[in-house]
Amino acid sequence: MHTVKALVGLLNNPVVPSIIKYAPDLVEYVDIIPDRLWYDFESGEVPGGRFHRVVGAIEELKQCSTGRVLGGHGIGLSLPSAMPIDMAMVDEVASLARELNFRWFSEHLSMFLVAHGSVPNSQAGLGLPVVYDEESFQIVRSKLEILRRALGCDLLLENGAVFTPVPDTEMTEPEFLNRLYSELNCGTLLDLHNLYVGMLNGVLSPLHYLEQLNPECVREIHLAGGHELGGFYTDSHSGVTPAEVWSWAYKFGPYFTNLKAIVFEFHESYFEKLGLRGIAAELERIHQLAETLSSGAQRAHAS
Amino acid sequence: MLVEFQQALADLVAAPELCRQFRENPDQLRERYDLSPREYARLVAMVNHRAMECNCMLYRANRLAPLAMNLNQFCRALGPRLGPLLSEYSIRYPNTNVHFYAECDRFCQFILAKIEQGYELEPPVKAIFDQEFAGIKLGVVASYSVL
Repeated sequence: MHTVKALVGLLNNPVVPSIIKYAPDLVEYVDIIPDRLWYDFESGEVPGGRFHRVVGAIEELKQCSTGRVLGGHGIGLSLPSAMPIDMAMVDEVASLARELNFRWFSEHLSMFLVAHGSVPNSQAGLGLPVVYDEESFQIVRSKLEILRRALGCDLLLENGAVFTPVPDTEMTEPEFLNRLYSELNCGTLLDLHNLYVGMLNGVLSPLHYLEQLNPECVREIHLAGGHELGGFYTDSHSGVTPAEVWSWAYKFGPYFTNLKAIVFEFHESYFEKLGLRGIAAELERIHQLAETLSSGAQRAHAS
Repeated sequence: MLVEFQQALADLVAAPELCRQFRENPDQLRERYDLSPREYARLVAMVNHRAMECNCMLYRANRLAPLAMNLNQFCRALGPRLGPLLSEYSIRYPNTNVHFYAECDRFCQFILAKIEQGYELEPPVKAIFDQEFAGIKLGVVASYSVL
């Protein structure tokens, strides 16, 4: 069975168009955060409705996307929250997905929204850990079904950077993701740097995690760098991918036979530090990884 | 109840003082939130986890992010006064508005109210504030536009 080389790309931010102009051959795929393409006016009624699009940014994206694949990478739906899904936001995501032709859509396996926020679209301020129990599974499952009907494309969930995991849960995170895949065909966006964060902060073993995770569910990989904050290592998207993260990608990647994309994440505030050349070099490394994995996957199939 | 557990977690990361309070007297968790015995045990373990401090730091960093991006010079000009102002603002408004211009506008209104109550800003700092606040207002107005 021929294994197609995974697309290589970037998580979109205002600097990404400049990188595409600088190194157009290196960027095949862009993860679009739809929440950064609108202003959300949920508090109070405003002319024009709740979501006002950032038209200039969307037009620039359309120009950059010629010959490239786009995927959606949402942050606002907060699927594990024990509250109804925001259907207005689902509809807006679906509308953008059609306009920008998202090949697939991913969200975070983290809780951002809580029921008693002080403003209607308020967030907890960071992605909070999920209770991996049956109740949470059914909440996430039902919301994914709604999302799938609205978007009509493949869905993925990303493992988050967790500092204080919920103890004594019925399932581990890999088991939760495996079950979403087997029951719903919801793939995994495997953020290898988030596993690195967990390892450095002493809360998880990436090797144990990766051995538990069903490799067939991995459709996308995220790579990134971080830095220390107050004695803890964080997923700040502030640097290049650490060596150990690359080693996991090479070790486990050949078994990700459904892998479609490998994405480098950086925050635009660190662009000056990374530079165009630094980001291009990172993309070149990812291309080498993607080439190796596709040939490795062929070997895994053959054996 | 899961919704109460999640609310408790969100409240904890937003308020280090609440973490300290619940570490000293965990029974207050049950008084404040409707938790099952397992949820209570989980929260006690999490609030006592060394990395709860990191959650609180990241919460503050994320609260600061839209202000740092859109009121950059004002935040720099405030210097050491920014921390206490951000703490007071975060307590009064415990959740971020994802519309960043609206969030910045709310922070600027908070600063204006403090000035009216006697909080002093040096003239150069006030000038920076006025300039960047004007930019925020333009951003808010522009975001209302629908094309």
